Amino acid sequence: MRIHRYRTNADVPTASMADIAFLLIIFFMLTAVYSSTRGLEFAFPKDDPTQRNVQPQEAIHIKITGEGQYVVDRTPMTIEQLAGYVDQKMKQAPDKPVIIHSLPDVPYYSMIDVFDVLRQLQVQNISVPTQTEVERWQFFGYLE
Amino acid sequence: MKIRRHTKIIASVPTASMADIAFLLIIFFMLTTSFSPVKTSVDLPESVERAEVEQNAAIVAITVQNEIVFSDGDNPGFDVNSPEELAPHIQSLVSAMPDKQFVIKADRAVRYASVDAVLDQLRRNGAKNIGLLTEQKAGRRN
Repeated sequence: MRIHRYRTNADVPTASMADIAFLLIIFFMLTAVYSSTRGLEFAFPKDDPTQRNVQPQEAIHIKITGEGQYVVDRTPMTIEQLAGYVDQKMKQAPDKPVIIHSLPDVPYYSMIDVFDVLRQLQVQNISVPTQTEVERWQFFGYLE
Repeated sequence: MKIRRHTKIIASVPTASMADIAFLLIIFFMLTTSFSPVKTSVDLPESVERAEVEQNAAIVAITVQNEIVFSDGDNPGFDVNSPEELAPHIQSLVSAMPDKQFVIKADRAVRYASVDAVLDQLRRNGAKNIGLLTEQKAGRRN
């Protein structure tokens, strides 16, 4: 008796491969967390006793009193006026320190807005005092 | 006269190349995805000036609800109850690597006092290199 052999084509099922691959793509796209890896940088002053301390009186003092409300050297200003004022001061004295003093209840982005403007004006000497430092300066009468 | 058709072309979609394209896309997504140890979702503030933060920088995330999540940059983040609890972690990182960068990933609407408390802890415990994570703001450069 003769045994009939059916001829089957030896094929890799490539059609399903694409399905699997696209499923993997969708998985990676959904699980990917788009994290921002860029931002503003600043350095705290080093604890170097030989380094001259910032004298708050000769610095530009920016006080953020509310959302979009800035008091620069005791004059209320908008962010555009602030940029103009600081730019003008920087032309006179490029290494003039700038103090950003945010009140505790102000939203964080107001401080970032000011920081960003100063960075764009290439201010080198930006100081962001913490609340304890501000209190100390106020105690000694450097800040109002 | 009858024209004979000799060759029969089989109509089929070339599925083999489809898989190649798909795998290329997979590789692209795998390479471009950056795995961040802190997956806390926050609405970052925007700035025009931005600099790339260091890889493996320690991350302090502050959410609108004032929840603080800390990661040393290599291990997954964990919740911290108060800024004061950050002190031992910051100290150990700074003593191992004095120039270690600490990145603050705070929500744009968070009260400045919360950010200030974290900055205060960083400063007290010897951190020198700080980054404030922001989104790109569309605007002109001066």
